[in-house]
Amino acid sequence: MGATEEAFITPAIPMDFTYNYRIGLYMTRYLEGFKERKIMGSRCSGCRKIAVPPRKYCGVCNKIMDEFVELPQEGTLENFTVGHVVLEKGRLNPAENPYLLGLVRLDENASLLLARVEGLDPAEARPGMRVKAVWKDQVEGDYGDLDHFAPA
Amino acid sequence: MRNVAIVGIGYTPVFVSKRRDVCIPEMISEAVENAFKDSGLTPADIDAIIFGNMHTFEGVNLPHLWCADYIASLGKPVMRIATGGTTGMAALHAAYYHIVSGLHDVVMVVTYEKHSEGDSQVGLLGIITPEIMAMLALGIDVTGQSGMGAIGGGSAGGISYQASSYLAHSGAGIEHIDAIAAMERRNAAKNPYAHLKDPEATAEKIAQTPLVSYPIRFGHICPTSDGATVCILASEEKAAKLADRAAWVWAVSNCCSDATTGNLIEGIITDPAEQMPAVIASRQAYERAGIEDPKKEIDYVEIYNGFAHQTLMFLEKIGMCELGEAHKLLEKGELEMSGRLPVNASGGVVSTNSIGTSAMNRVTECALQIMGRAGEHQVEKEVHKALAHGWGGLMQYVTITILADKPKKP
Amino acid sequence: MEGKVAIVGFRMMSAPDLVTSRERLTFELTRGLLDDLGIDRVDVDTTIIDSNDFLDGRTISNVFLDGPAGAYLRDESKVEMDGVNAVIYACMRILSGQYRTAMVVALGLTGSQVSPYLHIEYALSAHYDRQTRLLNELNSAALQARVYLAKYGYSEELLDEIAAQALGNAALDPYQARRISGVGKDEVAASAYYYEPLRELHCYPPTDGGCAMLLASEERARELTDKPVWVLGMGRSIETFYIGERDLAASPSTAQAAERAYAMAGVKNPGAEVDLAEISALFAHQEPLLAEAMGLLEEGKAEEAYRSGDTSVAGKIPLNPSGGALGGHPICASGLIRVAQAVRQLRGEAGENQVGKAEIAVAHGQDGLCAQQNAVLVLGV
Repeated sequence: MGATEEAFITPAIPMDFTYNYRIGLYMTRYLEGFKERKIMGSRCSGCRKIAVPPRKYCGVCNKIMDEFVELPQEGTLENFTVGHVVLEKGRLNPAENPYLLGLVRLDENASLLLARVEGLDPAEARPGMRVKAVWKDQVEGDYGDLDHFAPA
Repeated sequence: MRNVAIVGIGYTPVFVSKRRDVCIPEMISEAVENAFKDSGLTPADIDAIIFGNMHTFEGVNLPHLWCADYIASLGKPVMRIATGGTTGMAALHAAYYHIVSGLHDVVMVVTYEKHSEGDSQVGLLGIITPEIMAMLALGIDVTGQSGMGAIGGGSAGGISYQASSYLAHSGAGIEHIDAIAAMERRNAAKNPYAHLKDPEATAEKIAQTPLVSYPIRFGHICPTSDGATVCILASEEKAAKLADRAAWVWAVSNCCSDATTGNLIEGIITDPAEQMPAVIASRQAYERAGIEDPKKEIDYVEIYNGFAHQTLMFLEKIGMCELGEAHKLLEKGELEMSGRLPVNASGGVVSTNSIGTSAMNRVTECALQIMGRAGEHQVEKEVHKALAHGWGGLMQYVTITILADKPKKP
Repeated sequence: MEGKVAIVGFRMMSAPDLVTSRERLTFELTRGLLDDLGIDRVDVDTTIIDSNDFLDGRTISNVFLDGPAGAYLRDESKVEMDGVNAVIYACMRILSGQYRTAMVVALGLTGSQVSPYLHIEYALSAHYDRQTRLLNELNSAALQARVYLAKYGYSEELLDEIAAQALGNAALDPYQARRISGVGKDEVAASAYYYEPLRELHCYPPTDGGCAMLLASEERARELTDKPVWVLGMGRSIETFYIGERDLAASPSTAQAAERAYAMAGVKNPGAEVDLAEISALFAHQEPLLAEAMGLLEEGKAEEAYRSGDTSVAGKIPLNPSGGALGGHPICASGLIRVAQAVRQLRGEAGENQVGKAEIAVAHGQDGLCAQQNAVLVLGV
């Protein structure tokens, strides 16, 4: 190479664009459920598995998941990690405090839902713990309405 | 080399400005379902999948990963192809090589674009973002004629240089661009999968649309569409079993030029209307297909025309007529659906443009014409051989596919 | 597979920051390779570029790479995924009989980027994961690491041992980006947690890098080199995107890809027949996990394999003798570099990291979270 970094122009100009993602029928049903503090999933007509959040297709069966089902608010913490970093806009920064992120199973046939887990010391987390959904005080059909899970 | 056939085609039910009712994977799955319906195949019949789109237009990355469940891909080889405007045909060519290599028999190509979710001009400008950034950093004005503010890859600013050059060399006038645009919008009116349709379009009507950058008028420019196209290709052995009708791939080819050809980063080095890749790729395709005189042997052509003058320009570049002759054919009505050399009966890219699908739709439309399945926009003459053209990059990529109504003899 | 395809040469480069442009890197790699082989760009029939628009910050990232790659007025296409797939596409083009030589050039520069993980953030579903902002590449890998360790009752120490072996190999490899000498498992264990159980040194470092490789038909290969390395088998597969529905402790798509590659290559007992493997393990736990899926390690025996030295350069089944992706992971180029590293081994040119007998090698590349999509090559001399 031979060139020094100073030899290159390295412009840093931020670019912000707005994208308008359409979320489709299935995600709309999920967020509509949030307005009533409900967690909705969709069941595959083939393997009977439930996807949370709901979606149109079960790729394994190549079948449409056209049955919407409401899931219980309480489930099992099956897997978790303690985060010591946060990824923000593609950069890795240290977290203020270690935090728990878990995969929660709400029904034995349902897929695992990734969520923040609060209300316990991350060091105390164990697979198999029972946890329950904690909602924001005001729910408005937004992704953030289902705030976190906490020990049941 | 093995023969390859197109055995199934699936479009989204419509190509429109905004599909508000579906997310990206849901929209794609509509075309996948239609391709299965069309071919009578099931996901189990598919050996491999090619996925193509230009993700910067939607601000999404590697959508094949998070659309995997919607494209019948689980457990299968999936290849992602992205080459700008030519993406759809480059993806189809990848499917072709999957089959002619002898490694796979039935391959599905999935292409889409959902322009409404992002800003297409930002996507186009993104082709030269680093250069713009560097120029801004150096204090160069990028908004003026000397800069690139209006240029981008296939956007109207840069294209106007190409169109001016073409007009100067060919002897055609702006009225011919109006006329070809009008013809294609009228054709589009007969195509249920076209976006901008106007059964009453005339050159005069197009001439009344505002001038964007001479000689390009608003009426000469493609829309941005939401839509997906899926195409299933099969080896000869499988095609015989799977489908009673097919269009056969006789040749594929592509050629790229350097990006500095025809852009203004270092001034106009080469004529942006030169389009040498179109000349090279088409000659190579004719040779591979054993075509000696394309003017006589090719019955139908689909040109990738983001801008209306390109139909005329590329017809000349690919040797379907002499240089400077295309606008005369247009005047004589020979390019119409009833004409001697029907072109873009589908309405072309200028009527429907969801970028990932645009070059692919040129091939699928040729296939439909060959199979006699184009419905209302079926051309009058019999189509035995057809040529599909794709174009893109920074005005530098050309892909060609030649289809025929029977397998090629070894 | 009718006919044969060989790898006849490669050039590769990686560093934490290459202080270069994509165009210049592409030119240096491809021009260098042509010079190595004593040929010119017109001797290359087709070129496959492998880059990512998001990574490169350019729509149609290949528009300015065709020229530097020598593809001006020639045949070129672009894949946008791990480089092993680009090799497979190049092989297909040669097997078609239409081309005798194919240049593959892949590059990824994240080491020098201010936001090296951004492109992965954008590779999540737009209508859910990017809205909830919970899922990312690192935490999903951590969840995978935990279930993998739990499945066999391994301790986190195993991750330190795997990383120590990889980083030890990388330190001796001239092509690697993360070359730090004297890193043992204690130093790995002392590095900071990202997401438990993964620590900094269990994870790939953002890297600048690229690789160019020339492939040729059998006849042409014999004209170009005395040391052709043959592509004996290729396999690919993908599994579902949703980590909440996957068996993260196994990698069924890797197993499928490997099965397909072995079947093509006629490899019946990979554990015994394969002499070394270059695996795109982006995180320490993925090395044994993917090796198990590829039939190279016995399931549940990872601790023994690493502690006994079986997986070391001198071991029974050397895994990543180059150090693998923990020594550098330029996205897109990463898998191509694994292939090139396997070629070095098979040619007996791997220097201090040369394994003993090397006749059959496996190279692996991955895309997506927790190795959602995998590609496997079987190479031989």
